Amino acid sequence: MNSPRRYAIRTALCLAALLTLAQIAAAKPWWMRGVESNGNDFLAPDVAFRVSAWADADNMHLRWVIAEGYYLYRHRIEVQAESPDLIVSAPVLPRGQMRADPYFGTQEVYFQQLEASAAYSRSDAGAHPLQIKVIYQGCALAGLCYPPITKVIFPSNPPPIAEPPRHAWEGVAILGGGAAFLLAGWLLRKGRELEIPRL
Amino acid sequence: MRRALRVVGGLFIVVVALWAGIRSYAQRSSQRLHTASIEASAGAAGAPLASDAAAPQDLGYVNGSRIPEKLPVFTLGDVAGKATSIAAWQGKSLVLNFWATWCAPCQREIPLLLALHREWAARNVEVIGIAVDNPGKVRSFAHQFNITYPLLVGDQDAMDVITSLGVQSPAFPFTVFTDRRGEVVALFMGELHKPQANLILDQVQQLNQDHTGLAAARRAIADGLSALSMHHSG
Repeated sequence: MNSPRRYAIRTALCLAALLTLAQIAAAKPWWMRGVESNGNDFLAPDVAFRVSAWADADNMHLRWVIAEGYYLYRHRIEVQAESPDLIVSAPVLPRGQMRADPYFGTQEVYFQQLEASAAYSRSDAGAHPLQIKVIYQGCALAGLCYPPITKVIFPSNPPPIAEPPRHAWEGVAILGGGAAFLLAGWLLRKGRELEIPRL
Repeated sequence: MRRALRVVGGLFIVVVALWAGIRSYAQRSSQRLHTASIEASAGAAGAPLASDAAAPQDLGYVNGSRIPEKLPVFTLGDVAGKATSIAAWQGKSLVLNFWATWCAPCQREIPLLLALHREWAARNVEVIGIAVDNPGKVRSFAHQFNITYPLLVGDQDAMDVITSLGVQSPAFPFTVFTDRRGEVVALFMGELHKPQANLILDQVQQLNQDHTGLAAARRAIADGLSALSMHHSG
């Protein structure tokens, strides 16, 4: 009844079903197919480049989380004081990656994540909340550039919780992991036989 | 009992899979700029689009905003500063390319736009560059790249034209294709390549010759671009 061959066939069928389900989960639902079909979708700028800032006693710390396939130009990053009596010096930026462009020459750009700091001083004895203006500009590797983005930010006191960049296969990985766990449990249960002690 | 457990387990996996897929898709689609090409509106060509209540998932919308069937009439300055209405090209099919001098993919597109201008002029197609930039920079840039097609220049007013087409977060390059009647046939966000441009312009020609309707042309463009995209990524 429960021959090894039958057992192997059942396991293979379950795995195939799980793979199909994972693909369904990652794909567009059938009732929405055709609404956007040329694969030419780009992220909104605030999703492609997510900026956050926090401050200690002397420095502002800025972090950009950059979506996969997108980049920021080093020379287009600016930090300006917004609140009264606040002086912010030019941000200290790490070395980026050099990217060759046939028209603009070699450009220094950042992928994935950028952390920068800018020293600041204030003479209002903390009367106003810290407020800065951050300007940055970036593009998508697929051939799209966003106009310069300006954000007014109130740097938080403790550092914000880092948010890792989102990857396209994230959902599939989570789903696959969960499904594999369930499958493993089912298979283990199947092979288990309870030994009932005889009195 | 064991059979029942298996059935329940299987159903649970199916429900989790569907829930994760729908949630993942909904999250990703809400983050997209989503312009690309327009799909055909449901129903016959020229039929009014569906009600606003159905907007977010209906065809003919971008990010919940309705794409106008006709290109809105607008006026921008040319490189010399002379106010020029888009109506000056009434009766022609238009390729409106929104760009900026600081945008690398926009610069890469210029040879293609020059070629389209040359090759399609005889078929009543006009390429018009709309620079969202400083007029002085645009003038020297046009000279440097020998741009022979007409150029308009704007700032917020040019951005307003883009948003009037349903694009909430403008980015460059962005290209709009219209037929001779001024119907918006396709919107294309990002760098345009020749196969894509020819595919869209072929449909524009079909429309101009009344060989197809707007809805069918939009559908053919969306399907064609999708096939090109798959071919490219494959």
